[in-house]
Amino acid sequence: MVNHKGYIVLFLLPTIILFALVYAVSMVILFGTSFTEWSTGLKPVFVGFSNYTRMLFEDTSFKEGFWNTALWVLLQSTLHVLIGVVFAVILNMREFYWKFARTVFMFPNIISGAAVGMLFLCMLNPDFGVVNSFIRLFGNSDYAQNWFMDYATAFLSVTMTWLPYAAVVTILILAEIAAIPDSLFESARIDGASEIKINLFIIIPMLRNIIGTCVILAGTSMLQKMDIIMMTTGGGPGNTTMNLPMYIYKTAFMDNDFGYSNSIGVFLICFGIVFVLLIRYLFRIGSQ
Amino acid sequence: MKIALSICRYLFVFLIILLSLGPFLWVLMASFKTNSEILSNSLSWPASLRVSNYIKAFEIAPLSRFYANSVIVGVFGTFLNLLILGMSAYVLARFQFRGKKLLMVVLSLSLLIPGTAMLQPLYLTVNTLGLYDRLIGLIIVYAGFGLPVSLYILSSYFLTIPKEIEESAYLDGAGFIRTFFKIILPISKPGFSTAAVLQFLLCWNEFQFVMILTSGNQNRTLPLALYYFKSQFASDYGVMFAATMVVIVPSILVYILLQRQVISGLAAGAVKG
Repeated sequence: MVNHKGYIVLFLLPTIILFALVYAVSMVILFGTSFTEWSTGLKPVFVGFSNYTRMLFEDTSFKEGFWNTALWVLLQSTLHVLIGVVFAVILNMREFYWKFARTVFMFPNIISGAAVGMLFLCMLNPDFGVVNSFIRLFGNSDYAQNWFMDYATAFLSVTMTWLPYAAVVTILILAEIAAIPDSLFESARIDGASEIKINLFIIIPMLRNIIGTCVILAGTSMLQKMDIIMMTTGGGPGNTTMNLPMYIYKTAFMDNDFGYSNSIGVFLICFGIVFVLLIRYLFRIGSQ
Repeated sequence: MKIALSICRYLFVFLIILLSLGPFLWVLMASFKTNSEILSNSLSWPASLRVSNYIKAFEIAPLSRFYANSVIVGVFGTFLNLLILGMSAYVLARFQFRGKKLLMVVLSLSLLIPGTAMLQPLYLTVNTLGLYDRLIGLIIVYAGFGLPVSLYILSSYFLTIPKEIEESAYLDGAGFIRTFFKIILPISKPGFSTAAVLQFLLCWNEFQFVMILTSGNQNRTLPLALYYFKSQFASDYGVMFAATMVVIVPSILVYILLQRQVISGLAAGAVKG
């Protein structure tokens, strides 16, 4: 074939530059300055591991942010994925509503997180929100729960803005089920297996790989959730809905504590990598 | 037993549809109401389909400015991403060269980095390049965010195109660049449209980076409008609802019109993770 060497380089170069600009440079700044004390307008000063020791042993806000993040990762990679898988299995029966339900389920996933936050802010408004209005309808006419601002309900309210919306999981599972050869079901039916048994013993085990992938996607999405929290609670009340992304934002752009913020960024990346490796191991992703 | 299971199933489906569609429909309904209608009974139908809330929303906040910015960032962010990644995905799918494996591993590292970890570093980079508070800064950053997904979708598509097509083009005397733009690109439309829809939605919906990379109202996009005018709208709930609808409806329209691309894109993009 003709020698295309020059063109190969030319075609790769823009991507390499883009990668360097957005990811590589960011990683160098992130890791490098995580060992420094650094604020607006000042030069970073090397302080060794002190940001990390402060983060891990002294900072209670970090601790709260970490546990909230971990709990959300756990909920998202279990309950959320479960909802998505169950819904996919139901839709796969192809009853009359399945296309409509699949389309509608996707709505909250396709719109901006800021808009989802706004929708829930309105729905859970203590005065005119539909949830409180509905509760008032059944008796308690003075009911005025402030869902997002009450210590007891804030975490639950924020969780509800993403936990049920597992349309991406459903779509991935549906695609995978469609790829299972029909002959498998037919022989099971001939052997007299019921629909439930077919689902439990044939379909679900064949989905191990893709469910593992969904767990990874759903879990790691919780490492970037900021828009909805920003719109609804801002991490409060207190630190009840503070997560690591919000805390990174707060330390960097409100406290101007850049070095410290970046050490939390490093922690967040490591958290993500450990999570991905753990799930890959648990689900034996890649092996048959 | 069988009946009980069916009831559970329908209940579950009903609940899911209610949770997905309910918030959207309720806010849509409320966006046509007056303030007193909303406060007196938030469950009622609007008295009439009045659009005054929408007009007012555009008056209170520079929504049309934000809208224009969102469209510009969405269109150019998608175009830049597809152009750059189309080129590299083609080369990576088609040719063997030294360092190819390494390059692919390095590029896929971008999947392991949560965007929020890069908040301050990217702020610094964008600032240093003099792109702070400029749409071009957002366009470049978003083109970068879509790098792993677009690369994967496009290179898998290129792999399905038979090599003979280019070989005959070369025999006819067409050069490398001409072959790529005149022959490969047109037949790769399905791959590009899948990647484009996902990339456009990314640009349209992104929130945290537009927040830190812009200031003032000149260069902000729609998701930020909701955040910054939350308090301005707060005295007039109907207007707040209308503004929310204005942000939501384009995403839903794009999705309904291009559902096939969104679904196949999600399926293709996720297999990688």
